[in-house]
Amino acid sequence: MTRGRTAARATEKTRTIKKLSAPPAAANSVKTRRGGFDITFLVLVLILVVVGLVMLFSASYATSYDRYDGNSFYYISNQAKNAVLGIIAMLLIMQIDYHFYHKVAWLAYAGSLVLLVLVLVLPSSNPNAARWIDLGFVSFQPSEVMKFALVILFAHHVSLHYKEMKRFKEGLLFFGVVLAPVVVLMLLQPHLSGTVLIMAISAVMMFVGGTDWRWFAGAIIVAALIVAAVIFVPGLSSYAGSRFEIWLDPFSDPTDKGFQTIQSLYAISSGGLMGVGFGASRQKYLWLPESQNDFIFSIICEELGFVGAVLVVLLFALLVWRGFVIAARAKDRFGTMLAVGLTAQVGIQTFLNIAVVTNTVPNTGISLPFFSFGGTSLIMLLASMGVILSVSRNANLEKE
Amino acid sequence: MAKPATNRMRARLAIMMGIIVFICSGIIIGRLFFLQIVDSGGYQEKALNQQLKSVSISAQRGSILDRNGNILAQSATAWNVFVAPAEIPENDYENTVNTIADGLSEILGVDRETIVKRCQNTASYYETISRKIEKDVADQITEFITETGVKGIHLETDTKRYYPYGSLASTVLGFTGSDNSGAYGLESYYNSVLSGTPGKVVSITDGKSGEMPFSYRKMYDAEDGNSLVLTIDTYMQQVLEKYMNQIVEQFNVQNRCAGIIMNPQTGEIYAMSTKPDFDPNDPQALGDSREVEKLESLEGEDYTATLQEAQFTQWRNKAISDPYEPGSVFKIITVSSALDSKAVSIDDTFNCAGSINVSGTVFHCWRSYNPHGVQTLTETLINSCNPAYVQIGQRLGGESFYRYAESYGLTTGQTTGIDLPGEATSVFLSEEALTRPGMVELGSASFGQSNKVTPIQMITAVSAAVNGGNLMVPYVVQQVVDSDGNIVSTTEPTKVRQVISEETSALVAEMCEQMVSVGGRNYAYIPGYRVGGKTGTSEKLDSDDDSKKVASFVGFAPADDPQIICLIVTDEPDVASPAGGTHAAPYVKAVLEELLPYIGLQPQYTADELALLDVTVPSVVNQSVVDAKGSLSIKSLDYTVIGDGDTVVRQVPAGGQKAPRGTKVLLYTEESGEEETLTTVPDVTNLTPQEVSRVLKAAGLNVKFSGVLSDGGDYVSVRQSVTADTQVERGTVVTVDFVNNLTNER
Repeated sequence: MTRGRTAARATEKTRTIKKLSAPPAAANSVKTRRGGFDITFLVLVLILVVVGLVMLFSASYATSYDRYDGNSFYYISNQAKNAVLGIIAMLLIMQIDYHFYHKVAWLAYAGSLVLLVLVLVLPSSNPNAARWIDLGFVSFQPSEVMKFALVILFAHHVSLHYKEMKRFKEGLLFFGVVLAPVVVLMLLQPHLSGTVLIMAISAVMMFVGGTDWRWFAGAIIVAALIVAAVIFVPGLSSYAGSRFEIWLDPFSDPTDKGFQTIQSLYAISSGGLMGVGFGASRQKYLWLPESQNDFIFSIICEELGFVGAVLVVLLFALLVWRGFVIAARAKDRFGTMLAVGLTAQVGIQTFLNIAVVTNTVPNTGISLPFFSFGGTSLIMLLASMGVILSVSRNANLEKE
Repeated sequence: MAKPATNRMRARLAIMMGIIVFICSGIIIGRLFFLQIVDSGGYQEKALNQQLKSVSISAQRGSILDRNGNILAQSATAWNVFVAPAEIPENDYENTVNTIADGLSEILGVDRETIVKRCQNTASYYETISRKIEKDVADQITEFITETGVKGIHLETDTKRYYPYGSLASTVLGFTGSDNSGAYGLESYYNSVLSGTPGKVVSITDGKSGEMPFSYRKMYDAEDGNSLVLTIDTYMQQVLEKYMNQIVEQFNVQNRCAGIIMNPQTGEIYAMSTKPDFDPNDPQALGDSREVEKLESLEGEDYTATLQEAQFTQWRNKAISDPYEPGSVFKIITVSSALDSKAVSIDDTFNCAGSINVSGTVFHCWRSYNPHGVQTLTETLINSCNPAYVQIGQRLGGESFYRYAESYGLTTGQTTGIDLPGEATSVFLSEEALTRPGMVELGSASFGQSNKVTPIQMITAVSAAVNGGNLMVPYVVQQVVDSDGNIVSTTEPTKVRQVISEETSALVAEMCEQMVSVGGRNYAYIPGYRVGGKTGTSEKLDSDDDSKKVASFVGFAPADDPQIICLIVTDEPDVASPAGGTHAAPYVKAVLEELLPYIGLQPQYTADELALLDVTVPSVVNQSVVDAKGSLSIKSLDYTVIGDGDTVVRQVPAGGQKAPRGTKVLLYTEESGEEETLTTVPDVTNLTPQEVSRVLKAAGLNVKFSGVLSDGGDYVSVRQSVTADTQVERGTVVTVDFVNNLTNER
């Protein structure tokens, strides 16, 4: 048993080294169209960026006017700048051969860990949570960087150890060991939503990567039991924290903790089937806190109605579908796993954000990709879209 | 060699994609469906409730105008002052409150402590300090706020009702409450017409309860109220009230005095009043000085209760709300019914033996000490002889009596339908009681002593009796006019029914004229006019005190074509022997005397009247004494020259005034001081003509006799045109009304 495993690992290693040293995919197939990228995915990304900017302007100008001395354009002008930078970044990254990330996988992880430590040590502007590092000219969340680093590291790991992924050590322990310091550091910030997101992305990558399904089954059962206990055992919900209480009944504290959720529900419901009309939201007039940020989807629902909201959801669904298609067609497993991880990030984050604003899950700060205002995160999002497009460039398009 | 994804990997990819694309999207879309389409939480409505702010814009309340366009009631902008303690900065609370309290108490005259107290409710945004202040005061407050920059004082506009004529017609007009809606009278009855429809500004507020510059705002204009044009004539109202005030003052009337002037042909009310009344500009203040005195000695609950009772009393429109015993005025109804049904004829005679026994009940004549004997039908009315009316009633029969009364709108439960709130119904004997064998009830009913009707019912019924038989609906509002001056509606005279024939009506009117002119030429005889009328003196059925009586008189003119009718009801004059002829008739006469020329009726004198007629005093100022004497002699006027000058510098009565022949005109030939020229008017009521003449002469005054004929009657003075104890110039003509004791029913 032990011998066999060691042997297998040795072989894998040798093979990987061989693979890495070989000229990338040169002789794979005559049918591979080098340089051709997935135009559908790019178009979907650009549509989302444009729709996102338009809706951000509508959702943010009142808040901007109020917060920035009558300047209605603070949020939109910043976001537009970042969108331009992000698209440039995306187009550049698209050109980079993604195999380069093999080399920086561990370095990125280690660097991100350092940043996660630094964010805790450095003085923070927000007394309740230390999430941002401010470099003066730019500020960013180390957790965002870590998300990207983890996707690379896990893709790297899976592509090297695919055969052993069913085993405990490669399929679970490795992930556990890599994630443990990340989770601890992030909970120290505290940054629950980011932690949840990172764990969800990791789970998706593990699943696709080949971790034994029984681990997932077990994890799902445990999670379900915990949620059920919180909901159904009397008294436990208050023990689990006001977050759950507010989730179950936002009107139990309508002016304070339940306020944002209630205002979000008001906005969503006000939209009805066709919406109150673009620009005509009433809830954005300082009723709904963070309408330009985490709760922008509520304003979309209010202004564009059920129809508009479903169209936005479908845009995301199409993007995820296309991202997974790119993953499936990737020339190699590293590409597959990169595309899976980065696509899953967008999909899960979108789902969690909408689930929060519709009070489907407890309120936790999580932004809506492409829509929410947030300086560097849009650039990083578009950068990761560039990575997916880079994967698509090397995909075997003829295969399907 | 890099290897593409295995099938197992692809399978798991497909599963993952399915989960994210279908399951997650499905959950979200389902959730959105429930929130946006089903909206089971009612969030759409709740959202609107929180976002919409509706501020109402009050509609301008319509005005009330008299028939000539004089404004009787009008609304104007006023201001309410309130403080918002929640806006007072916490770190500077003490200071700010002191500034507010000092400033407002000085400007508004409100107690400083009260303001400080109001400011203590720091959660409040609205603590009223003063309501309905005028523009100049509001301006002072605005200035104060600007100067001191103090936070928390606010002004809001409101409307205030102004009644330019003060207490004039106050019981008819009513007044508005602090909410600007009508509380009494026309203000209440026509409230919905006057008040209009308030508009509103609906705006979307932001979460900080401000209005964002680009937020939604919609305005619904207020629709101003319509105005009322009344049938009331301010001048007629003033004349009526002037004489009613005299009645209340002179006879210390205990239960108020009601008066109505109307057009007997159409039912238009020219004037309606109850005295004492109130000033609708300050309806809480008591208009009756006797009540104010009474309150001074009271405290606590007694005070509050008495005040409240007095207020409710003064707001009450007695002319339509209080049924009274009409007494002998009702004889017009009895005799017209009997004539119309041919139960009696104008040539029938009736004997008065001083009393009449009906099935054991004896009804006395007011002059039982000197029975009237045999009288014609007209004489029974002139004499107001009860035994005669018992007989007339018996001839008419209970059933007919009831039918006619019903037709006149006087039986139990009926009202005239006048457009005023609070009209009371009459209380009348039932048909069953009136037809009872023995006819005791019918007997007392025949001379008006067992039923109660309101003054408006009585005057409406008498109008029908003398106007050709038409019962009209009395009304106060002639037109409703919208805020742009367009006529919304016009009231047309409404005839309820023909009660008696035109012929009968003409007969009754003539009898009433005889009552005034022949029966001693007292009551309401006005030279040059054909006035008809009837006195009424009745015991109060509800009172054990026999001395408490209601004295009333109804008079109309011209008798052959009545254009104006006036009823005055004096309830409980505090005098020895109340009588309609003394405590109502002279005042109705005075009213008609002033108003007949006003409504355009020119006097037409008979030869006898011309001989007795007053002459116009010629102006002789600046003439020589000799010339002056000549001018006066030609006019049959006497004179006295005062001073040693040759030229007249002043004369009393002045030129142009009317004076009886023989009046002594004082001619001053040099200026003299007040002490010599003024004199105090003595009280000359309850005196014989000779005594009056003597007393007035002694005071240096001229006298004009009114209602006295040289028929040797037993005359007594009942009213003097100038109130006793007032200072007037020597030589002033004082008119004194007399009544004939032999015909004045007690």
